[in-house]
Parts: sequence; C-alpha cells; structure tokens
Amino acid sequence: MKTSRRYNRFEWVKGYLHISPSIIGFGIFVAYPLIMSIYYALTKWDGINKPEFVGFDNFNYLFTVDPVFWKALRVTFYYVLINVPASLIGGLALAMLLNKKLPFIRFFRTAFYLPTVLPMIATLTLWKFIYHPQYGLANRVLHLFGSPPVNWLSDERLALFSVILAGLWQIGGGMIIFLSGLQSIPQDLYEASGMDGARGWAVFRNVTLPLIAPILFLQLILGIIGSFQSFAQVQVMTGGGPNYATELLNFKIYADVFSSKMFGYGIAEVWILFLIIMLFTVITYRYSNQFVHYENDNR
Amino acid sequence: MKTVYSAPAVTNAGRSRRKIQPVNSIRMVVLLIGTVAMLYPLLWVVTIALKGNNDIFTTTPQWFPKEFHFENFVEGTKQIHFWLTFKNSMIITVISTVGQVASSIVVGYGLSRLRFPGRKLWFSSFIGSMMLPGFVGLVPVFYLFSQLGWYNTWLPLIVPSYLGNPAFTFLFIQFLSTIPKSFDEAAKMDGAGDTQILWRILVPMSLPVVVTMIIFAFNGSWNQYLEPLIYLVDQNKWTLSVALASFASNWSTQWNYFMAADLLYMMPLLIIFFFGQKYFMQGLGSVNSAGLK
Repeated sequence: MKTSRRYNRFEWVKGYLHISPSIIGFGIFVAYPLIMSIYYALTKWDGINKPEFVGFDNFNYLFTVDPVFWKALRVTFYYVLINVPASLIGGLALAMLLNKKLPFIRFFRTAFYLPTVLPMIATLTLWKFIYHPQYGLANRVLHLFGSPPVNWLSDERLALFSVILAGLWQIGGGMIIFLSGLQSIPQDLYEASGMDGARGWAVFRNVTLPLIAPILFLQLILGIIGSFQSFAQVQVMTGGGPNYATELLNFKIYADVFSSKMFGYGIAEVWILFLIIMLFTVITYRYSNQFVHYENDNR
Repeated sequence: MKTVYSAPAVTNAGRSRRKIQPVNSIRMVVLLIGTVAMLYPLLWVVTIALKGNNDIFTTTPQWFPKEFHFENFVEGTKQIHFWLTFKNSMIITVISTVGQVASSIVVGYGLSRLRFPGRKLWFSSFIGSMMLPGFVGLVPVFYLFSQLGWYNTWLPLIVPSYLGNPAFTFLFIQFLSTIPKSFDEAAKMDGAGDTQILWRILVPMSLPVVVTMIIFAFNGSWNQYLEPLIYLVDQNKWTLSVALASFASNWSTQWNYFMAADLLYMMPLLIIFFFGQKYFMQGLGSVNSAGLK
C-alpha cells in the first residue's frame, strides 16, 4: 500500500517535471501577458516609469481623437477581406490545376511552392526593389506591354494593393496544403460521379468541395488570424505610408509602442485587435459549421 | 466521330494516358505563365546580383548582365558585415532549434506517456494557447525581459525556445500515439528509465517527425524578424533579417550588393528545402490531419 502511494507521487512529480517547460512558457507568454494587459491597457505608461492609472482614457482617445486609428482599422479590414479570399480561392484553383496529370507537373508544383520557402524578409525586401518606380521589375514588365510606369508603393490608391499582390507570390503555401487534401480524395468517388453523368462544376460542387471543406475551413481561420496580424510586409515595404494608406493595425501598435513609447496606449490597441480577431473567428466558426462536413464525425 | 467526341470524360475518369487534350494545353499555358511569374523575380535577383555597378541603373532595360561580377558577393557581404551577421543568425537559429525540438519532445512524452493529475487540462491549455495571437503577449513580455536585463542581448530570442512549442508538442504526441506502449514496457523490464525510453527508443522511432520539427524550427528561427527588431540595438548583434531589412530601407543601397547578400540569406533555407522536401510535405500533411480532427 505504502509503496504504491509513493510510486504515485513519484509519477506525479515526474509528469510535472516533464511538462514544466511548457508550464513556464504558458505562464510567461499566455497567463502573465493576458492578466497584466488588462491593467496596462488602462494606464499611461512609457515602458520606463511606473504605469499611471488613467481609466478608459486610452480607449476614449483611440475612438474619438486618434486621427489614424479609424483609418488603420479600415485599411486592416480591406487587407484581410482581399488577402484571405484571394489566397484561398487562388490557392485552391492552383491546387486543382496542379492535381491534373500533365507533363512536368512535379516541376510546376516545385516552382509554385519555391517562393514560400524563402525567408520572409528576403522576399519582402526583394519586392520593395521590384516595385521601384524607375528600375523595378514591375514597371519594366508594364513597359513590355506598352503601359506607363506606376508608383506601386507611393501611390495612395495603389499601395495596399501592391502589398497584397506581393503577398500572393506566396500563394504556393496554401496550394500545397489544398493539393495534399485533393490527393487524399478517393478516386472512385470521381469515377462514380462521372458515371452518374456529373461534369465540371457539378463534380466540384458535390464531390471536391464537401471533401476538402474541413481543410478549407482551417485555412480560412488561420488565414484570418494571420492576416489581421500582418506586420512585416508593411514595416519593410511602406512604413505604413503613403498618408497611412497601408497602416495595418498591428503595424500601428508596433509603431506606437516601440517608436512613440506609448506602451499603455499600444496595449489598449492590442485588445481592440484581439477582440476583432476573436469576433471574426467565432463568426467564421459559426457559419462554417453549417457547411463543413467532417468525415469522421462521431457526434 | 461521335465516340471520339465523348471520349475525354471516360478517359479522364479511367485515368488513361491520352495525348494532350485541348483543355490540357490551356492548362499548360496557364501553368507556364504562372511559373514565369513565380520564378522570374528570383532570376532577376540573380542577374542583378551579378551586374556591375554601372549596369544596374540603365534607362533601357537590360534583362541579362553584360558581364558577370561575382565579386559582388564579396563586396556586398562586406557592406553589411554579412558574415558576422550570418554567424549571429546561425548561432541563434541552431541554439533555438535544439531548444524547441528537445523541449517539445520532453513535454510531449510527459503528456502522452506519463500519468498524473491535471494532464488533460494542461494539454488543452497548451494546444489552446496556439490560438492566442502572438502580438498579445509582445509588450508585457518585452517589458519583463527588459526588466531582467535581457534587452540588447540574444536571450529573448533563445530562452523562449526552451519552453516548449505547442505545435511541435502536438505533432510529437500524435506520432507517439502510433507507437504501442509495449515498447516502453519492454524497455522498462530491462531496467530503462524514462530518459532512456524516450531518447533511446521513442525518439529514434519518431525520426521522420523529429526531422520535420527540426526543419520547421530552423525555418521559423531563421525567419524571425519582429523579436530581433525590437530587442537588438547594436548592429554587431543583429540577425540577418534585421540587417537586410535595414540595408533595403535605404534607396541609395547598391542594388547588386543587396541582391548578392539577399541570395546568400536565402541559401540555407533553399538547401534545406531541396534536401528535405519529403519532410516538408509530411509536416504540411499533419497540418491537414490536425484540421480533419
């Protein structure tokens, strides 16, 4: 009796020793920031001196005075609402194309995937040069087609679009995930639907789409969460300009905290962005539940 | 004639190897155009990296270099202390890759093979923490690390790696669940402790997933930008991501030098990709199976 109890305690200690790294990590990166952020958001704080409690002043300023906040919010929404569907639909279409038996198909798959394995900063800096108004590749290509040069990153109406376009160079990341999903669809389903006389769109609608819906859904959620957090694209390529046309909210948070040293204010903005992401995730989840069919659903 | 006309649908379904059909040639054209769009920018980097100082800025576009200036790779690397920065990036990346993989393996073993109260709760907490957007912790953690005196050191880039990576932990647990417990028990009979069971038996058996973890950890760390940007002030402590971004932020930058340095920055990940393609796909496949659960 005694030995077995001691053994249990031993197991208990052993288990917690093994998972202690993650417990510490959870404390430092999840619990502590979440709890402290609630307080910090209500303070005026420069990150050096003691935080000074100011109630809801930060949020008040954010919603009523800050000249950039609403614009940043709008820019962020545009960015997410264009970027996420474009990469999902484009990635899926590309995956379907690359799922066909065509000559050199392995080469094509590698070619489309290649840009996504490059380091992010390497590609962003590269695109900055591609968009150079005089000597950049983008305007040279336009020139080939007889079009006048364009100010990709310094034209207020075009800058956000250019940032999104540069991101679509990495469309292969989604493609490869959809492709592996498409390849796991049993071939006999296509044969059966072919015998029933289904063609093209009907096959896609009734066979392909339902079967990859779970993957599509996961990519949608991850895409939304990721796009709302986009930061480096803008930090490297435009610095939020021109005239805040590419001021993504996460970039504004970075600039407010680390350039303007407004720690409390930045954390207030973090809460806004966090709540927006939660809201979008929950809405997507609710809606998708109606469409997504899980193969191994035991509920 | 009629039979020929209705043939494609049947052959498609039957997967026979026919000659290129009209639809397929359209597909080929689309793929070719797309491939050019994907690969040309990279080729452009290479051509500029090889161009002479006077050939970069020409009014008439010059698609190929007139002569090959391999010395750009020497000059360009000198300008941003490339090799020092490369060494910094490499040290940080290797140390944190080891940390991420090792700590995730240990935590994964604890969660899947050991029995203790609260196991399920911790498991869901760790997995749930993946949903928390990274920027939420950024500022408080920055403050905490600064208070510890870690500002302008590599510690904020390295130490967190040793605190387990939830995604890797999940991946490893999934793989462990496919290894029967009889292996552990047999080893225990022979007097092996947990450390030996894990590192001598289970890890060698999970090699594919461990390699996948190593590749993704290396990539993630080599890519890291925000943390080095906010923590590192001294140029001689910078990582390549920060150094290149700052190099590119200056329009007076010599393009050929920049492109040469950029290519060298890409190189480790390209090499890993070409040698580890199989593991890349495996890792992505497990993303899918996680989504299907």
